[in-house]
Amino acid sequence: MSKVIVVTSGKGGVGKTTSAAAISAGLAQQGHKTVVIDFDVGLRNLDMIMGCERRVVFDFINVIQGDAKLKQALIKDRRLDTLSILPTSQTRDKDALTSEGVEKVLEELREEFDYIVCDSPAGIERGAQLAMYYADEAVVVTNPEVSSVRDSDRVLGLLNSKTKRAEESGADPIKSHLLLTRYDAKRIGEGEMMNVEDVLEILAIPLLGVIPESTAVLRASNVGLPVVLDDKSRAGKAYEEAVARLTGEQIEMRIESEERPGLFQRLFGRTA
Amino acid sequence: MRLAGAPDDQFYESLDVRLQQTPHFFSDAPLIIDLDQAADLVDPADLQWLVDNLRQRDLSVFGVQNATADQAEAARAVGLISLSGGRDAPLRGSRREEERKPDPAPEPEAAAPQAAPPPRTTTNKLVSTPVRSGQTVIADRGDLVIVGPVSSGAELIATGNIHIYGHMRGRAMAGINGDETARIFCQSLDAELLAIAGLYRTSENLGAELRRKSVQVYLEGERLRVDPLDRTQNRSGQ
Ligand SMILES: Nc1ncnc2c1ncn2[C@@H]1O[C@H](COP(=O)(O)OP(=O)(O)OP(=O)(O)O)[C@@H](O)[C@H]1O
Ligand SMILES: [Mg+2]
Repeated sequence: MSKVIVVTSGKGGVGKTTSAAAISAGLAQQGHKTVVIDFDVGLRNLDMIMGCERRVVFDFINVIQGDAKLKQALIKDRRLDTLSILPTSQTRDKDALTSEGVEKVLEELREEFDYIVCDSPAGIERGAQLAMYYADEAVVVTNPEVSSVRDSDRVLGLLNSKTKRAEESGADPIKSHLLLTRYDAKRIGEGEMMNVEDVLEILAIPLLGVIPESTAVLRASNVGLPVVLDDKSRAGKAYEEAVARLTGEQIEMRIESEERPGLFQRLFGRTA
Repeated sequence: MRLAGAPDDQFYESLDVRLQQTPHFFSDAPLIIDLDQAADLVDPADLQWLVDNLRQRDLSVFGVQNATADQAEAARAVGLISLSGGRDAPLRGSRREEERKPDPAPEPEAAAPQAAPPPRTTTNKLVSTPVRSGQTVIADRGDLVIVGPVSSGAELIATGNIHIYGHMRGRAMAGINGDETARIFCQSLDAELLAIAGLYRTSENLGAELRRKSVQVYLEGERLRVDPLDRTQNRSGQ
């Protein structure tokens, strides 16, 4: 059974596109046939982070409007043969996406891929709602600060009410996971940012992983390399473990911490 | 908000004067339109016009009460809920008793043939998932029980009592039809707003010593009391 996973957040700039790229590359690395779709119509960041911006000919919107076949628009990754990218248009706006069009493309992708990762635009408006509507699971990307947590909370409300799984009676609700990114242990230790436990208490969903703030992320995206493929970086390692948890592996949560010892065990206990 | 007949320009003028006098009092507070004395307001378009006008003034209308069957239908058509029950129910019953006595001049309102008042049924509502920021949960004919956390920016509304078994950071309004005996029970208090029968307190005047405590909230005369449920807390409190 194929799975549609939306990477979403509410708040902008928290690391959705970075995470969608890393998660899809991580899934592909494990051997799963994976496609990552850019739903952020008009901005087109995903293909840059994936390093394939010069290979875009047709895009998601062309497919939806019937101007191109899905096969023509899909770009095969040069590093991982199990990974494909469906880029979006830089010239159109979000109104070019229709619910029926999205459904049709997703149905077609489900036949070929194990995982379909959707990179959502920021916000809680139409674009973000279309990206989440057909999802089976959600990765809610959150930074450890109050406004990001609050926006994630709103998004969780939408995932539980404005999606296909929420509207269909008898369907299981969307499975939501928390991915805490740009985690800066020093600033948390100094009380400038929220700690993991505080975030978990408010959002009350299982923790998929904690990605540290790292210059490797920016470096990787500048050269178009999903950060999991940079095997020396701590952020890459953290994404790799998050991907393993997403596919059901039990891996102990290791968070660099300037806080009390014993925290790891308690956190691990919470995610079970 | 009680209407006396369909609103006209004068109504909006005096409303604006009121809002200017107390600009923050009503803003974003949930509002119910009482149609008891506005039986002529039945056209959905008129109701929509009223709702639009109120929302333009930052008044969050979400329901009507004392609506006739036609009005209730019109309200549903414009996305409002129709509240029943509450303290008006027994009053209506006694009015009906009087009607049986020979009465030379029946009120025009009472002359309209109406089915017998529906029996006062309560339907409680149980929610066992977290209530997220931006969500509103309404129990329009009874108690509301939440098992799970309530986020800041979430809203709980009930004609009866509200129970929250979980951390409460949102807004809770019990006895929304005016039931002054309604209470709010809260396992871990961190609320933005608590209200019973329209009397409310916000986080600013809830007192830091009650934060994260188990409390019950009830009306004592015109005072909204927030008391810890735990006896030891009670003693150390006062
Ligand atoms: N773990 C991290 N450490 C350091 N920088 C990061 C990290 N994660 C993301 N960033 C940086 O944050 C910025 C925003 O990231 P990204 O584009 O992935 O966010 P987004 O949520 O997709 O944004 P938008 O809402 O605009 O789509 C980028 O410059 C990225 O390099
Ligand atoms: Mg993005």
